[in-house]
Amino acid sequence: MTLRRIPAFLSVAFALSALAILVLPGPAAGQSPSGTGPSAAFDRYHRPEEIAAALRDLAKAHPGFAKAHVLAKSPGGRELVLLEIGPETAAAAKALPAVFVAADMDGAYPLAAEAGLWLARALCAKADLRTDKTWYVLACGNPDAAALYFAKPRRSDTRNARPKNDDQDDATDEDGPDDLDGDGLITRIRVKDREGTWMAVPGDARLMKKADGAKGEKGVWKLYPEGLDNDRDGQIDEDGPGGVSLGTAFPHLFKYHAPDAGPWPGSEPETFALLEFFDRHREIGLAFVLGGANSCLAPPRGGRKGDADFNQIKVPERVAGFINADPTRTYTMAEIIELVKPLVPPGMEVTEGMVAGFLELGAVVNPLEEDLKFYTELSERYKEFLKAAKLDGKRLEAAPDKDGSLELYAYYHLGLPSFALDFWTPPEVKEDKPADELTPEKLEAMSNDQFVALGEEKVDAFLKAAGAPDQFKAKQVFEMIKAGQFDTKKMAEMMKQMPKKPDAGGADPKEKALLAWSDKELDGKGFVAWKPYKHPTLGEVEIGGIVPFADTTPPEKMIEGLVEGQAPWVFEVAKKMARVRIADAAVKPLGAGLYEVKAWIENTGDLPYPTAMAGRNQRVLPVVVTLAGDGVTIVQGKKRSLVPSVPARGAQAVTWLVRSAKPVKIEIKAETRSAWRDSRTVALGGVQ
Amino acid sequence: MKKLFGPIIVLTLLVSTLPAQKAGVEVPLRFDQYHSLDRVYAALEALHKAYPELTALETVGKSEEGRPIMAMTVNNPKTGAALGKPAMYVDGNMHGNEIQGGDISLYLLDYLLGSYGKNAEVTALVDRVCFYVVPVVNVDGRHHFFADPNNPSSNRTLRIPIDDDRDGLVDEDGGDDLDGDGNLCEMRKKDPFGAYKTDPEDPRLLVRVKPGEKGEWTLLGEEGLDNDGDGQVNEDGEGYVDPNRNWGFDWAPPYVQGGSGEYPFQAVGLKALAEWTLARPNIVFAWSYHNNGGMLLRGPSRKGLGEYPAADVAVYDFLGKQGERIIPGYRYMISWKDLYTTYGDSGEWITQTAGAYFFCAEVFQGESEAFKGVSERDEPGTPREEAVRGVFEERVSEKERLKFSDNVVQGELYKPWKAFKHPTYGDVEIGGWVKMSSRLGAPFMIKDLVHRNAMAALFTAKHLPDVSLEVFEVKSLGGGLFRVRTRLANPKAMPTMSALSQKNKLYPQDMLTVSGPGAKVVAGGTLVDPYRDQAVYKKDRPELQFTVVPGFGKVEHQFLVEGRGEITVRYASPHGGLREKKVKLD
Repeated sequence: MTLRRIPAFLSVAFALSALAILVLPGPAAGQSPSGTGPSAAFDRYHRPEEIAAALRDLAKAHPGFAKAHVLAKSPGGRELVLLEIGPETAAAAKALPAVFVAADMDGAYPLAAEAGLWLARALCAKADLRTDKTWYVLACGNPDAAALYFAKPRRSDTRNARPKNDDQDDATDEDGPDDLDGDGLITRIRVKDREGTWMAVPGDARLMKKADGAKGEKGVWKLYPEGLDNDRDGQIDEDGPGGVSLGTAFPHLFKYHAPDAGPWPGSEPETFALLEFFDRHREIGLAFVLGGANSCLAPPRGGRKGDADFNQIKVPERVAGFINADPTRTYTMAEIIELVKPLVPPGMEVTEGMVAGFLELGAVVNPLEEDLKFYTELSERYKEFLKAAKLDGKRLEAAPDKDGSLELYAYYHLGLPSFALDFWTPPEVKEDKPADELTPEKLEAMSNDQFVALGEEKVDAFLKAAGAPDQFKAKQVFEMIKAGQFDTKKMAEMMKQMPKKPDAGGADPKEKALLAWSDKELDGKGFVAWKPYKHPTLGEVEIGGIVPFADTTPPEKMIEGLVEGQAPWVFEVAKKMARVRIADAAVKPLGAGLYEVKAWIENTGDLPYPTAMAGRNQRVLPVVVTLAGDGVTIVQGKKRSLVPSVPARGAQAVTWLVRSAKPVKIEIKAETRSAWRDSRTVALGGVQ
Repeated sequence: MKKLFGPIIVLTLLVSTLPAQKAGVEVPLRFDQYHSLDRVYAALEALHKAYPELTALETVGKSEEGRPIMAMTVNNPKTGAALGKPAMYVDGNMHGNEIQGGDISLYLLDYLLGSYGKNAEVTALVDRVCFYVVPVVNVDGRHHFFADPNNPSSNRTLRIPIDDDRDGLVDEDGGDDLDGDGNLCEMRKKDPFGAYKTDPEDPRLLVRVKPGEKGEWTLLGEEGLDNDGDGQVNEDGEGYVDPNRNWGFDWAPPYVQGGSGEYPFQAVGLKALAEWTLARPNIVFAWSYHNNGGMLLRGPSRKGLGEYPAADVAVYDFLGKQGERIIPGYRYMISWKDLYTTYGDSGEWITQTAGAYFFCAEVFQGESEAFKGVSERDEPGTPREEAVRGVFEERVSEKERLKFSDNVVQGELYKPWKAFKHPTYGDVEIGGWVKMSSRLGAPFMIKDLVHRNAMAALFTAKHLPDVSLEVFEVKSLGGGLFRVRTRLANPKAMPTMSALSQKNKLYPQDMLTVSGPGAKVVAGGTLVDPYRDQAVYKKDRPELQFTVVPGFGKVEHQFLVEGRGEITVRYASPHGGLREKKVKLD
């Protein structure tokens, strides 16, 4: 690391301490045989075992504040190494909150693993990042899959090395890819076939598209992965090595019976270890998952089917009798809470979560409105951050977060503010669009009237161009807008979520962008030109196509700039974590040794304590507020008062009536596991 | 609640040495009392000692508190290895308080082993199939249910501490046995403003006062103290993670369904049991014994999972209806539809992950403790009305059960109210149903219950697939080509792979192969119409056929084989076993 590469926004102190590390390396620093010691440069991608060794080296170099944990061993025999950094590495139970960072759970994003390693090093280098919290950094979350980038031949597969009989025959992992042309890359085979459904894209014959008979196009080619029919069952590469895609093997929206899902969420040693880890480390208050998705740039998506509508709840007949509800009508959540309140013991709070569980309203599958506020706010800040780092160029959208992913588990089940962060996609290809063409972005900025004023003809053209269904016409849209059922914002949102339409030639926009990138920046090395090959069962074929990892993994010379410019966003968000404090405490004497004590519990962070989702799933405990003093009895209020939530920058008061014969000091404590704790001593009566 | 940590460790150490002799358990086992956990362990040891050649006893894994979860395999090695035979899996006592399953499991083992060589039906069955029996899944639960003060519904769950009242302290306020009688009964207090008064027909019972009537009692709930001083009594007891909601299929977090645990297979014992089960791919059918209500439940356990394929439903219907006859009063029902929705239960897991069929038996019916003569019984309703009544209504009134207790077991099921000085409530009374009541039948009825339930499982075991392989034609077609026809037949109800397992591709289908040193299979496939010689030939590797042998049926194959000499026809199936036939091409 050199001064030149330190991002501008970081303080001079960081620069100085980083420099100090350079000048005065720790005992093992920079000496690791693999060349991946704490001071090694980010000028190439590191193998999973190198990343594991680098994390261990950091722990060795900084025994005072860094500790390596081996969470599990993968089916491929690789260790899952997690580095703990912070002031409490010696303690099993942590008093301070923690941030959890996992990188490359898919094993398909070597750049994310580099970012994980970069974060681990930065945290070791800069003391003020780790004074008041613990960091857990898992820099390579799927080592078996990650190793494939470095394998010969190179192929991309997000599954770990668990043996699996994919084709349900008499052998396991017997028909994987074969590098037929010996170029060290697994690409594709195309073969001319009368039953072929693929054709070359007009305008760029390297790319393939599905022929559209309705447009008079005729399929010419059949496509196969590069390989042989090793088990002579008529299929090519249908049972290669690989078992479970770890990136989608967590419990939220887990896809049971999907071919690469594994038998249950957490079935693998790697994923089970993480489920256990989160359970044991309730101090974790923030989660980052570095990989292919990005919920920093755009808030996590909603619109999944399956959520209960809290404005229209039907009470099942079986339950209706208990709570005096009418099973034939619908209620809002607030109305049901009012119905339930008189039925619970005094002092018990009726929460949405409690009612939702009671009425069997099922799992939440969309981000809660309240939480979208901070996601949206932070995405604005992140865009500014990228602009300052000059990394805000137009690029292809990051992958959507996938069902079963760790980032979704961390939000929906753990109730944490959870962010996915990606580091690179190929630049978007600039289409020559007429200046007056309508785009979702323009639409968003328009009022309903402005939109309607465009007229049917123009809007119809826009809908057609955006790939809207044929029956979806301007006339209807205008009527819906007039009826208040639809507006330009909603429409823009819908348009953004539509799959990117192929360009005029029919090429997949992602492939097109990759090809343009490859031609411009990689001397064409992102694509293997189709070359003839004599295949033992398919006959005369051609082998070629996109190089594995080319679409996720930029050239090595770009690693440092991309990581150093973007990964520090994690530090910025960590600064915004919910932080519970006692803002003030007041004592009001009522006479006869009776006092009213009031404490204001505040959250000085920019994130709520806890998230609305944690309020719903009840996984994060309330702030526990206690009061104690010699000979003090509580007349009203609780020994352990529970404050379920404190909004960002907000406060909640707790009040007690206490009695004390003598003037004494009392101590008020506010405790959380994941948002710090505070205490305050106040005097009852005339104590100084 | 008082902490019992020290004694627990001591007991755990004692248990792990399995003091069979000390407990004095002998074969044949007796079923006039429920077996405590120690006696279950001792009974298994005794069975193994008495029938060493037919049984294997092993530890599946350890519980949260370190107790072994034991499994007994019944298999006759003279007729083949256990894994080569279709297997019946039986477990019990997943919920700590639902202890009958442990006793039913022991009875089944004792019956199978004791009848072997004496009864022809049982001998033939034991020679043909394999039984895996795990009498007590929730070993900690069974231990504590017997050893600690409880009520009939307490101590169900796993010993995974959960902060139920979310105050940062864990399991700090459970029930307390204030009068030290080993039961957690009810507390009531004299209160002229109370909502209850003494039942004029039986002074032990309370009835709600009508508007305007003067009250007499306030009910204070389960026997206990406000141990954590938060104003609530017994709100954060032991646990809870429900052992029948923590399995890895269709699992949902606790806010969707209480008790499911932090993540699937958080329970160490359940995880060990799941892995043990998956290592036995010959398990065709699984029974799990719970209490109560008298139900034979099949899945699906949630509507959204969709009904099972018709072929599987036919198997369940056949077995379920027979079960209703073997255990009179029990109803064969669909879990989500006729009872309630569950996520992450053991049955759906073993069905959808391990590929077995599954019944959950909710054993014991309150009606068996009704105190009514023939002429006093209610007219039965339609079957559907009866089913709903059975599930959602108390079919027997408390009054009747009290009379049963008074007259049939001389008052042993109920503790009369007795005065007690409560530290918070002052003068109260403690009384009510004892631990060993309500969901547990009186001991004199145990034998009938365990026998009938074990026989329902035994009937099911008889319908595990029983595959025979026959080469019913070898015909020369000239020019060195032969037509070989094979038949795989199965006279039992269960096919060699459930339709659901096939749909979800849980494991490979059965494999039928033809091979010979001088022979080459040119074509091979399923014989669809033997009269018109129509077969559906498989394109690649014709010498290897994937197939499923249906229940009550057969499947036939046809091979065109070139060459001469002996050929071997081999059938290999996880659920159907291994079969081999040799024939000559000539």
